[in-house]
Amino acid sequence: MDHQGHGHGHGQNPSMGVVGNGPQFPYGSNPYQASHMTGSPGMVVASPGTIQSTGQPPSTQLGQHQLAYQHMHQQQQQQLRQRLQAFWANQYQEIEKVTDFKNHSLPLARIKKIMKADEDVRMISAEAPVIFARACEMFILELTLRSWNHTEENKRRTLQKNDIAAAITRTDIFDFLVDIVPREDLKDEVLASMPRGDVPVTGPPEALPYCYMPPQQVGAAGVMMGNKPVMDPYAQQTHPYNMAPQLWPQPPPPPEQQQSSPDQ
Amino acid sequence: MEDESHNNTLPNGFNTGSPESPFLKTSTTTTQHNKEQDRFLPIANVGRIMKKVIPPNGKISKDAKETVQECVSEFISFVTGEASDKCQREKRKTINGDDVIWAITTLGFEDYVEPLKTYLQKYKEIEGEKLSIPKQMRSEQRLQQHHNNYHDQNNQPFNGAYASSNLISQPPYVPTDQKFSLTFSPNSIQSQLRQQDQIDSVGHWYE
Repeated sequence: MDHQGHGHGHGQNPSMGVVGNGPQFPYGSNPYQASHMTGSPGMVVASPGTIQSTGQPPSTQLGQHQLAYQHMHQQQQQQLRQRLQAFWANQYQEIEKVTDFKNHSLPLARIKKIMKADEDVRMISAEAPVIFARACEMFILELTLRSWNHTEENKRRTLQKNDIAAAITRTDIFDFLVDIVPREDLKDEVLASMPRGDVPVTGPPEALPYCYMPPQQVGAAGVMMGNKPVMDPYAQQTHPYNMAPQLWPQPPPPPEQQQSSPDQ
Repeated sequence: MEDESHNNTLPNGFNTGSPESPFLKTSTTTTQHNKEQDRFLPIANVGRIMKKVIPPNGKISKDAKETVQECVSEFISFVTGEASDKCQREKRKTINGDDVIWAITTLGFEDYVEPLKTYLQKYKEIEGEKLSIPKQMRSEQRLQQHHNNYHDQNNQPFNGAYASSNLISQPPYVPTDQKFSLTFSPNSIQSQLRQQDQIDSVGHWYE
């Protein structure tokens, strides 16, 4: 039931999406979870590839492309995580240096007007817009940082609207913004991920030695469930778990794989 | 709760018009422009903040800046709705800094919480020091705040001009422009001063 509610809310009602996110707060508090979220597109990409593999013969060349793609993807996610960590550390340092509360990067009067647009809001203390000014600055910085990551993925140097759309779809806490970006930009995000979906076509046969089966199975299960947004966190949770073994000689034991499957 | 919060943003989103608007008597174009401006933070401020986290040779399209403008307004409404609901449950009328931070925590922005708590603590310390000064000096301080707010109001038309001219990377503040804009928007300035009075009154009373 929660899954259905979240799926419905994600597409049409942001507030419902928030309700659906409630049970996932523990994940949100885990820094590791952030990488799960950013890894979601990779999981989505793997699913179509798995399905299409039945209609195409395996190829060594495609296998190499897959490996190259996986490597680049991991590098990009790692780069984003590093940038976010540096960003938040910098925020602490900057706030420690603050001594003047009169010079704000955002006008307090305008913030207050936006707050007052809510008819239920009666009185606002002087400190609230001040806190909001800082919160909004952090929000703009985080959103821009995540958006720029998508700009670089596409080999561009100009941040565009579809980059922001991509950042919104990839980040859970930005669910309340899905209605702001038009579906055109969302389609761009989906279309951009489709070509990469063809690359893992040879995943099952070629990737066996590299233990790619577990994440793809999880992804496939997600698709069978209707690819509801609420399923992504679970897929994301298992994704890094299965990726980690790739750094080690031994693959994960079969029982653990079976345990992860029922979670879907 | 969340549905209520979401519904509350619809009037603002559809720009149905605020009873507080002082521009009802002006031309349609001016009214529409001012309402549009009031819904978002200035695009120049947003653009400057965005540039802090992209490489020096990176660029930001105007579409992207406008989208972030909308996202920030949605963020403010989203958090404010949550904070307002909390105040109502607790039979309080005034939204304060702690309520904002609580709402941000509840809505999943955990990374923002500790920096904001530090920020709020510092603000209270500094403002607390200000409140301990004699009454006369406090009165002078309030007048100065009005003056600052006055300048802040005049920045809005300038930002509008800047938004239409992407070639200017760092807009200078020309005093003559400020005087010029003053002549054309006396109502907004008066409204601004009244709002400042409200802020001072509330802040003073509770602190």
